[in-house]
Parts: sequence; structure tokens; C-alpha cells
Amino acid sequence: MPLPPIDPNAVFLNIPYDEEFQRLYLAYIVGIYQLRLVPLITSGIPGGERRLDRVLALIQSCRYSFHDLSRVEMSVALPATPRFNMPLELGLTITWAKLHPKRHTWFLWESTPHRLQKSMSDLNGTDPYIHSGTVEGVLSELRNAFVFRDAPPVENMLAAYRLVESNLERILSAAGTQNLYSASVFKDMCFVALNAARSNMDAPGI
Amino acid sequence: MPRAVQLPTPRPSIESLIKRLRIPKARQKELQAIMDEARARLAAEKQAAASDTVKQEEKLQNASAAD
Repeated sequence: MPLPPIDPNAVFLNIPYDEEFQRLYLAYIVGIYQLRLVPLITSGIPGGERRLDRVLALIQSCRYSFHDLSRVEMSVALPATPRFNMPLELGLTITWAKLHPKRHTWFLWESTPHRLQKSMSDLNGTDPYIHSGTVEGVLSELRNAFVFRDAPPVENMLAAYRLVESNLERILSAAGTQNLYSASVFKDMCFVALNAARSNMDAPGI
Repeated sequence: MPRAVQLPTPRPSIESLIKRLRIPKARQKELQAIMDEARARLAAEKQAAASDTVKQEEKLQNASAAD
């Protein structure tokens, strides 16, 4: 069976889709575009039996993946349940990357040092990027994860983030939703993030 | 810290990345207008902050000259 085509700039974003994570979600989108990579998420993939197949296909099409495990914790709503989607998708990714190491590179993200050793000791020896639960943390760790000539400084990335964040309410209202993770809002945010990246080139620091 | 990945250059252009989003032109215009307004607002705020700083510095200089 032929291997699926791969997008050399695509980043599969394995994150929690909840309210507390919104600022970091936006930081990932802005930051990934600042590196001229392309974020892809599972929003828009319908649930059901075929969902996992589609998630796997998405992972296989991406050259990179980010797995943010900072919110792998018990849900507040009863019955208290651990959130396993992110570890499940990480497991799929690790298997895929083991089979095809030249086609995929994955990155782990956490909020606190040593939490990963406690939650998933099988991953000992794999260093996660620690964002400390902050936008600045995500952006500076993104710059640590990827290097290239003329990469933007973190200060410019933060300015772009602020510009995009200041537009969020209007984007949501124009889309007629409050769900930041919906497929249409994701697209709009991508457009705005790219637009902000263009501003950075024209006027560093905005 | 994990080892950084060296990305190949040149990186894809912003225009090419916008194109692959496949957002209808009308929606792009709306979003562009929102961005332009936000930029203008941020620039005005920045200018106002700079002008406040200059005024405060002048005030301090005048006060110290009076002493």
C-alpha cells in the first residue's frame, strides 16, 4: 500500500478543546504561522467510528505534531474522568513515527517540569517543551523547537498574538458563534494570524 | 531541552499560506477590515502612550528647573 502524501510544513495540533486552553490555542496558531508552518486541528472531523481513522490520516499527512499534555487531568464535571484523547492521539503518532521516522517528528508540551514523568513514565527520556501555561511560554518554546534564518524574535511573535487577540470578539461575532474551536473560526483565526505575520515583516514590533 | 529542528529556507510565502486556507474573497475582505481597524487602534494607543510619556518628562524637567 503506498504511503499517504505528506505536507512538509503541516503541524498536527493535539490539544484540549476547552475554555481554559483558548489563549494557548491562539498562541499556538499565531506562533506556528510565525514560523511559516501550517497548524491543522481535528475540529470539523465528525465523531463516530470513522473519526479515529480520520485523525490518523491527518497525523500521517503532517510532517510534525505537537502534543500538549498540560491539561491531561480529571474533569471537573461529574463523574470525574481523566481526559484521554490527547494521550491516545499521541500514542497513534508515536507508532506512526516509529514506523516512518523520516516522515514524522513529534513534540511534547507540558506546563510544569517533571509532570510528564509522573503521568507517563514510559516517556522518560523524552524532554517536553515547558510553556508554564503562558502565551509567552508557548511562543518562546516554539522558537526553541524550530530554527531558521530570519526567524522572528519572540517579541514580534507576542505583538502578533496581541493583534490577533484584540480581534477575537469581532471574529466570533461575525461567525455567529462563541466556539473558538469551530472549523470556520479556526480558518478565520488562521487568516488573521497570517495577516499579523505580514505586519511583523513590515514593522517589527508592530 | 530537546534538540531544535532546522527548518529549510526560504519559508513558504504568507500569500501562499493564505491561499491554501481557501477563504472566500468576501470574507477575506471583512477580516482584512477588522485587522486594519485593530492596527489603527493599536497605533493610536501607542502614540497616546508615547505622548503621555513626553508630557510627564516635560513636567518633571519643569519641576526640577523650578527647584
